Order: sequence, then C-alpha cells, then structure tokens
Amino acid sequence: MLVVVSLSIISLDLNGRTHSLTSGVKSVANGAFSPLREGVVDVLNPIGNFLSGALHYGSLKAENEKLQATVGAFRAEKAERNFENTQLSQVMALQNLPFLQSLPTVTAQTQDENSSNFTVTITIDKGRADGVDVGMPVIGAGGLIGQVIQSFHYTSVVRLITDGQSRVGVTFGNGYTGIVDGQGPAAAMTADLVPPHTSLKAGEIMYTSSLDAASFPPGIPVATVKTFHTGAGASQESITVVAQADLNQLAYVDVVQWEPEPSPVNAP
Amino acid sequence: MGAGAVSGERTMSARSIVRLTFVVFVALLVQSTVMLPLRFDGAHPDLLWLLPITAALLAGPQTGAIVGFWAGLAFDLVLPTPFGLSALVGCLLGYSVGAATAAVDKRAVWLKPVAALMGSVAADMLFAVLGAVLGQQQMVQIDFLSLFSVIAVSSIILVLPVNRLMRWAVTSEAHRRSLVSAQPAESGLW
Repeated sequence: MLVVVSLSIISLDLNGRTHSLTSGVKSVANGAFSPLREGVVDVLNPIGNFLSGALHYGSLKAENEKLQATVGAFRAEKAERNFENTQLSQVMALQNLPFLQSLPTVTAQTQDENSSNFTVTITIDKGRADGVDVGMPVIGAGGLIGQVIQSFHYTSVVRLITDGQSRVGVTFGNGYTGIVDGQGPAAAMTADLVPPHTSLKAGEIMYTSSLDAASFPPGIPVATVKTFHTGAGASQESITVVAQADLNQLAYVDVVQWEPEPSPVNAP
Repeated sequence: MGAGAVSGERTMSARSIVRLTFVVFVALLVQSTVMLPLRFDGAHPDLLWLLPITAALLAGPQTGAIVGFWAGLAFDLVLPTPFGLSALVGCLLGYSVGAATAAVDKRAVWLKPVAALMGSVAADMLFAVLGAVLGQQQMVQIDFLSLFSVIAVSSIILVLPVNRLMRWAVTSEAHRRSLVSAQPAESGLW
C-alpha cells in the first residue's frame, strides 16, 4: 500500500501538469522549516566557528594576509578595466545583447550545499518573494555557477554546472559553439558537440551563447578548456573543461533576474 | 502517521505517533544543520535511513515500513530529488530490515551496527538506481566509494543514539519494561 502511495506521489511530481501540486507542498514546507533551521544554525555556528578558529588560527591569519593582497591587486585591476568596460557595454548594446552588468541581480547567501548526496546543488536564502524564479542563471566569483531549479517562497535550490543534469550552451573562439556538460562531483566537466579538429587552446574561456531560446544570457564565462583531443574516427572533439567560477567559494552568489525569451517558432 | 498504524500485532498508540513525529522532525533538523556540513570527500552522513532500520529492529517490518515512508516523505520536502523517492526507499528498507531480522535474536550486540551498515548502503544504492530510472542520471554519476565509506562509518556510529530515540518513540511503557528486564546491560548503556 505504502509503495503504491509512494509511486503515485513520484508520478505526480514527475508529471508536468501536476508538478505544481508537489512543488506547492514543498514550498509551504520549506517556508515553515527554513526559519527554524536558520535559528538552529545561528545557535550552532558560533560554537563551530570558535572551535574551528581555535584549531586553525595560524592558517586563518596567513589566509587573511593573502586575501588582503589579492583585494589590493583587484582594486588596481578594476581601475584599469573601467574604460574597457564602458567600451564593451557600448558594443554589446549595439549588438542588442544583454550585458550582464545591466541586468538586475539578487544577491543571496548560500544556506547549504549538496543537501542530498546524489545531486550537486546549493540552497540559497532568496526565493519567489525576492524575485527569484525557476530557470534564472546564478553567478559566483568568476562566472556562471548554475541555474535555479526550485524556487520556494523564501529559499531556492540552484543546480550547479557540475551536476550530471546540467547542460549549458556555450560559445568560444572564433564563433564556435558547444554544450558544457556536468558529469557529477567526481568527474571533470566536458564540452560536447564541438566538431573534430576545432581550433582550441588550453585555458580558452567558454561563454554562454546567445543562440535562440538559450537558457542563459550571453557572455557569462562558464568554463575554461583543460584538455582536448580528437580521437580516431570521432565525430566530435573530446574536451574536458573546468568551471571558470570558483565553486569552492559559494557563500554569496548573484541570481540574474533574466528569463529566456520565447522562441520565435513558438511565438503567436 | 495514521491512527491505524500497527507495530507487529500491537496497535501503535497516539503517544507513539506523536513521539515518532517528534523524532522524525528532530532527525530532519539535525540532518540539515549538523550532518550537512560534516562532509568527507564530498559525502555527508545520512540519518534518514537509520529511522526505518531502528524502527524495524524494535517493532517489526510493518512499523519499519510505516516509519520509513513518513520519514522519507518528510525528508523529501527538503531534498532536490524527486518527491516521494525517499518515501519509497524508506518503506522498502524498513520492511526488508524487519523481515530479514525477524528470526534473529534482537539482543545480539552485532545486530544494530550490521543492520545499520548494510541497510544504509543498500538504501543508497536503491535510491540512486531508482533515481536514474526516473530520469535523474546524475544520481549514479557520483563517487560511490566515498559515499558508501562515509555512510557505513557514520551509520555504525549513529545507530545507537537513533535507536535510543526510536525506542523511546515506538515502544510502549509495558513493552519497554519488558525490554529493561530482558536487556539489563544494553539499557544501562542507553
């Protein structure tokens, strides 16, 4: 009996027409549970931080000094790039492409990472009440980190680009396109659908593409090429890539309030 | 948990149902606040499977299945995996553990750690496979060696406190007294 009930619930969740029902239940439950969870975390965090700080005092001090030096370097770099950014914004506007810095973003704090051992996700403290919705891209330090897959009233779940279900359309080099595929936390991401013998170089950055019905706004750095080769008789280049964003630094992320435009084919 | 819930031949009392609800809630809270940050090689301990395992050891396959279903459903509310999948695996796990250990002496010292280890690993395997069957291919694209190592060790460590909580929840006063007289050494420890 319970097995039948479980299977029925799973069917409701996976069915596009009834998914909103289970999603609504989860949303209400998350809305009620989240503040309670945060309260417990607020109580436990100082204890954990105190113990951690006491154990790692030396390394924390060294890390702090290193970060101060990095911040100084970034300040200088930012000053140099202001002029370039102005020019780039003008070019992007001419091409009628949204420039990321002109898109509204919502800064969110990460509540937890990988709430399940079987998915590569983070939960952020912003939800529908803050304008965060399913499908919106999420960026972190350095580039794209993922996409919102569940949006509740006060929280959202973001699938990271390394998750096995993640697919991101990218463009690189001289107008080449491909798909960056997540392979799970234990394996490197790959770039697929790139023709054999495509001109590539290690360290080349791949950006979200601006193809029709793209799931992301164009121009967001996604990944850099790590290795590549063309196998004998292969129909595509074998490329491994690493995320451009630092996926180990996800304490704060920006949700880009951008939704894909409907495809012209589907337009009335 | 429905009023008609039964444990073995005994009907579960309203007090047990309230206590079980409380235990599931506490487990969910501990899982999402304490266990999630305890990450070893990308995997974290999982309290969910220990609930049906301990319930099944204490009160039989039917209670194990009922606890597994409701605990799984509660955990499904905060997991990004398909809604109902944990409930399905939980009830299958609870029933299987209860049925497999029906003929085993419940006082055996090795029973709880072995049941926790084997049950948790089997549940995770089933969870991943069913998830992949349901279209979530990423659920089998993980480092299973790390996951099973973390789950095995943590389950052996955590099964005793969870068992203590579960005994408080599912065992009636009269039954608890009989357990105390039958297991003086274990009751002294927990």
